[in-house]
Amino acid sequence: MMTTNTCLALWIPVFPLIAYFVQAFVGKKLPRMGDWVSLGAIFISFLCATKILFSMFANFNPGWVESWHFTWLDLSSIKTPFKLEIGVRVDNMSAIMLFMVTMCSTLIHLFSTGYMRDHHGKPADGYRYASFFAYLSLFTAAMLGLVVSDNLFTLFMCWELMGLCSYLLIGFYREKVSAANASLKAFMTTRVGDTGLFLGLVMLFALPLANGQALGSLRFDDIYAAIQGGFFNFTIGGFNAATVIGLLIFCGTVGKSAQFPLQVWLPDAMEGPTPVSALIHAATMVAAGVYLILRTFPLLEAGGILTFIAYVGAITALLAAIIAIKQNDIKKILAYSTLSQLGYMVMAVGLGAYQASFMHLITHALFKACLFMGSGAVIYAMHHEQDIRKMGGLRKKIPITFACMLIATLAISGVPFFSGFVSKDKILVAAYAFGVIANPQHFFIPFAGFLTAGLTGFYMFRLIFKTFFGEPHDHHHYEEAHEVSFNMFVPLVVLAGLSFSVFFTGSLTGGIFGESDFILGGANNWFETLVTNASFTAGHGAEWAEHLHHAHIPGMMFSLLLAGVGIAFSYIVYGAKKVSSDSLSKLWPDFVHKAIDNLYYFDWFYIKILIQKLFMPFAALCALFDDRVIDQGAVDGVKDVTQVVKDVAGILVDDVVIDGVLVDGMGGAVPAAFGASLRTLQNGRIQRYLLVAVAVLTVVLLWRGL
Amino acid sequence: MNGLANNFSFYLIISAIMFAFGVVTALSRKNAIGIFMGVELILNAAALNFVAVRLFQAKAALSPTQDGAVFALFIIIMAAIEAAVALAIVLRMFSIKRSIDPDKMARLRG
Repeated sequence: MMTTNTCLALWIPVFPLIAYFVQAFVGKKLPRMGDWVSLGAIFISFLCATKILFSMFANFNPGWVESWHFTWLDLSSIKTPFKLEIGVRVDNMSAIMLFMVTMCSTLIHLFSTGYMRDHHGKPADGYRYASFFAYLSLFTAAMLGLVVSDNLFTLFMCWELMGLCSYLLIGFYREKVSAANASLKAFMTTRVGDTGLFLGLVMLFALPLANGQALGSLRFDDIYAAIQGGFFNFTIGGFNAATVIGLLIFCGTVGKSAQFPLQVWLPDAMEGPTPVSALIHAATMVAAGVYLILRTFPLLEAGGILTFIAYVGAITALLAAIIAIKQNDIKKILAYSTLSQLGYMVMAVGLGAYQASFMHLITHALFKACLFMGSGAVIYAMHHEQDIRKMGGLRKKIPITFACMLIATLAISGVPFFSGFVSKDKILVAAYAFGVIANPQHFFIPFAGFLTAGLTGFYMFRLIFKTFFGEPHDHHHYEEAHEVSFNMFVPLVVLAGLSFSVFFTGSLTGGIFGESDFILGGANNWFETLVTNASFTAGHGAEWAEHLHHAHIPGMMFSLLLAGVGIAFSYIVYGAKKVSSDSLSKLWPDFVHKAIDNLYYFDWFYIKILIQKLFMPFAALCALFDDRVIDQGAVDGVKDVTQVVKDVAGILVDDVVIDGVLVDGMGGAVPAAFGASLRTLQNGRIQRYLLVAVAVLTVVLLWRGL
Repeated sequence: MNGLANNFSFYLIISAIMFAFGVVTALSRKNAIGIFMGVELILNAAALNFVAVRLFQAKAALSPTQDGAVFALFIIIMAAIEAAVALAIVLRMFSIKRSIDPDKMARLRG
């Protein structure tokens, strides 16, 4: 049954898709190269998403689901059950997600209309300005399609489409070797994870379950029902089925959300234009990986791999935060901070705090898009200078950008009254409850979480102090720097405005300020109320709520304390310059610096060991087999045999029998003429062959038909 | 469903037009990728026929088989594989001859 909301949800991805086709075919000929087509399309989607969001608030029901689907492919007469049903699903999670994605995307489109032009308002890359907007539209359509999907099949299709767009947009400056390499690296690295995801989906679809029947469907409802029925209690190769499938699906998340050990592509992806980094590599696509494990949460729960997921997230968060301290490229710092925050989200899913994870996904998308666009504005104002060592004192030159970035930085560092505090606090409280109160053997998870919180405050404020405070280091650029134009700072202001916690902590039923919890963000806020699903227990017993309650105060205190220490330390070193950063870095032994500078040797391991020592020799071996056995053995062998036959036959049969007896005997004229006429057919032109084939076929068909 | 989509010959006509375009493209192009695209059109015209026949078989409840859909799936899979192989051949062709005109690849002609 199609309702207004499902109909809107169906249309939301379609508008940007139409814009993509318009842009791809006629974009260059339109006035302003058609940037308004993409912007207008996504804005219409945004209006639709707003309508859905208001329906959500009107219903205000945690179990609100509206879905609609149709049978796309029905092969049940060949193999029961084989039915691919696709459709859209609108529930609280997808409504919030749709709103966030369309809004971020609209603002980033708007920002791009300024950023992709030079300082005279001319498109900086000529006609590629049009294709840039085409790619952005296609990407947005894919992301929105992923969010509204009610099944893993269309979700996977959109997932791959986003991978393609990511490739195109990272390599947008394709004349730069580093950009071309980065796009290839991103594409190939995520492919590793996607292979796992695809295998997981095939297993989910086709393997016979415990009740003897294959699931034969990839709709979330069917999957949830099968898990509830306990149909995944069988083994694949000695392992529990839900564990195997869950791990394979999690592979997709590891690739797309750049989790340890496939995190290597995300920092390189900063080669793309800054709006792309904001949209794809901060706000939406990387969040899609987290969205996937939120959607398949019951499966991961049934497979018992949540703790493993929490470890992966915690390791990612900590490792990335440590690297971020030593980066000097403004976008690289933000890239590592994104990695670190994604690690938080994955960790939260692993802890069973999926509400906190989803909330952090949304708040992070908003303030990180703001930070990235702010860095874009800085880079634009500094004439494409990205090194923070060459900046300084910019707060007087670009005050609006500075104010917005400062608010977003306060949010990401977890300062009270800002959105990041509420969501990160929930994650850290869950980590505390899990790793300190409930299972002290998993102490590493809260340890990594709290340490990362402190480091986040430190490196983010390092960025702020080095960019906006102190003395300018490059006077030429500093003098020329000026505030960006209207279409570039409006997105910043809007996103900075949404980085305040008040939007996430109100209870709605008691009015925004009606709840005592609105500063600290207790469990009564509208967000958590709506997203909570009573059947997602994550294997925690009744005492879990008790643990969470006990963890609330110490967890919050620790996170506040560490963030405060991080920020204060950052101020001492980079703001007030009481302690020089050189003397700080001398505190650490050399090998630590080397490991961080080489990004823990992941790239070295993948390229030097895996690819050069393992894959390349194997490829060379295959090539050798192809060359020696297939080409020289089989193909040339046939040739040799033919040659021998030819020689024998040529002398014996041809010269003696045919030429000597038949041709000379009959007189050469007839065979020669025949041969000459047939020769024109054997002219080596395949199209001529094809033409003859078509002509003969036509004649035969006509003759048979008549 | 409106009248046009209910009409069996509508599908056949579309398919025939696609097929004709495909043949003309494959015969007239002077580069290998163009020819290849023409072949793809021909394949898809055939696939369209298969699914149309399946659809109307199912509607008329003649014999509720899925052969048409399965055949179309096979065509799609085969076309994908063909694309991979053909593009690899075209790449090699270009690296050897610096051209993708199939007429230039006539070294085996006696």
